[in-house]
Amino acid sequence: MNLTIALAKGRLLPEAVKLLARAGVLPAEDLAKTRQLVVDATDGAKLLILKDPDVPVYVERGVADLGIVGVDHIRESGCDVLEPLDLALGRCRLSLCAPGPKERPLEALPGRALRVATKYPALATKLLATKGLGIEVLRLQGSVELAPVVGLADAIVDLVETGRTLAENGLTERERLLDVSGRLIANRASWRLKMPAVQALIAAFGDPS
Amino acid sequence: MTDTRAPLEAPEGTRDLLFEDARRLRSCEAAVGRVFGEAGYAEVVPPVIERSELFAEVASLRATDSTGRSLSLRADFTDQIARIAATRIKGTTPLKLWYRGPVVRDVAPGRIAPRERFQIGLELIGDASPNADVEVLSLAASAIEAVGIAADDVRISVGSTTYFAAVLAVAGTAPAIQAQLRDCIDRKDRAGTARLASSVADANARDALLFLASAEPQTQALSTARSLAPDEAAARAIDRLQAIVEAARARLGDRLEVDLGEVRGLGYYTGLVFNVYASGAPGPIGGGGRYDRLLARFGDERPAVGFSLDLDALAPLARSEGGR
Repeated sequence: MNLTIALAKGRLLPEAVKLLARAGVLPAEDLAKTRQLVVDATDGAKLLILKDPDVPVYVERGVADLGIVGVDHIRESGCDVLEPLDLALGRCRLSLCAPGPKERPLEALPGRALRVATKYPALATKLLATKGLGIEVLRLQGSVELAPVVGLADAIVDLVETGRTLAENGLTERERLLDVSGRLIANRASWRLKMPAVQALIAAFGDPS
Repeated sequence: MTDTRAPLEAPEGTRDLLFEDARRLRSCEAAVGRVFGEAGYAEVVPPVIERSELFAEVASLRATDSTGRSLSLRADFTDQIARIAATRIKGTTPLKLWYRGPVVRDVAPGRIAPRERFQIGLELIGDASPNADVEVLSLAASAIEAVGIAADDVRISVGSTTYFAAVLAVAGTAPAIQAQLRDCIDRKDRAGTARLASSVADANARDALLFLASAEPQTQALSTARSLAPDEAAARAIDRLQAIVEAARARLGDRLEVDLGEVRGLGYYTGLVFNVYASGAPGPIGGGGRYDRLLARFGDERPAVGFSLDLDALAPLARSEGGR
């Protein structure tokens, strides 16, 4: 099939590997164990194991024909890719969260904007633009839930799955901003030039939505 | 002490073409230009600046001249050719013109589209017939052949803005939802389209929206589109597209694909639209379509159809024996 498929090495990876196996794409090495970043698979396919935010970039530029990655990273990247299949992997949501009870209004200290810490600065800015809040977005690389606890930010925009991490840090979910799930993305030119192989893979994945 | 050196870096989204890169670009340009010339098209050389109002559809790079007037670097050739044809060459019909040169747009740096692109293209003005559309599609294929890219490595996907607009109109949703639907369809996001379409009352319109976001097998795309056509105009658009596709297939074969959900491109298109893809380029390397109402901006009712190719996307793919 000669497709290059970019996989996000985060929490979606095990599920993505299962899906690929269902489509007959079997990696030559155990992806959970290997330190290789490029892994050959059956049928002449090639798998690229990438940091989640990089997957849309590789696909937009056509270095990978397809990718499997969360919609959070697709939107944050702003990359121009096709999204033919919602794989419904790793369902969660991107939410605005803040300390204190759910009913408490979101308020910054007088005289300054609401500080929002997030790993998704572009997406948070866009999703909060219509909420009537004056905000200042702080980009963090991880442990975002710590920011309000230690006074770095008034609120966070982050993924919420069970809400346990929030509760452990005294945060509550104030507003659900985006439903997140793993998507199959495709390069626009690959979609046209490798249509039969791409279609075969899509058919094998089925449409779980 | 002040540093008197000029800034060292070129603006983002531009390139310096040196030696072999420059030679390749120019030889591709010459090869394509020959094809256009042999097909009876005459070259025009429009100015590199225009009144900013000319470029209604694209973000041009602007400056203000000493009289306070806003001028733009060329952001689109078709707008210029429309102006020239309508104001200078009214008598000749059909009018066949080609052009080449850089186009500058104010796109955000770092995006896949550079700010400056070298384009070559043609416009066929004054012929509303499907034959004109077929001629333009065939010349797009010939231009790519002329630079030595194998037919197998090329796809030209055609759609219809008339059909697309009719389906969206019948869906009858609020403008904000329409914009989201366009976006979902453009990304072939069936799940997202289905979610948005669930609020559409008309069942046929729901099916048509989902169809636009799907990848229908080539053999069925046009007949499915016809059966889902929401009105007479949309049905006629499909009949016309079918005639164009049948005639163009004789020349283009399997390079030609129908995708009624792919109607990217500028807002002035009024029927056929197409995008050109080639192996090795991550996005379209060119495209075109019919723009029957663009010349009317200048008081000229003539219909027109045309296309352009991005030479800087095309040149790296060209085989050396192609563009001599």
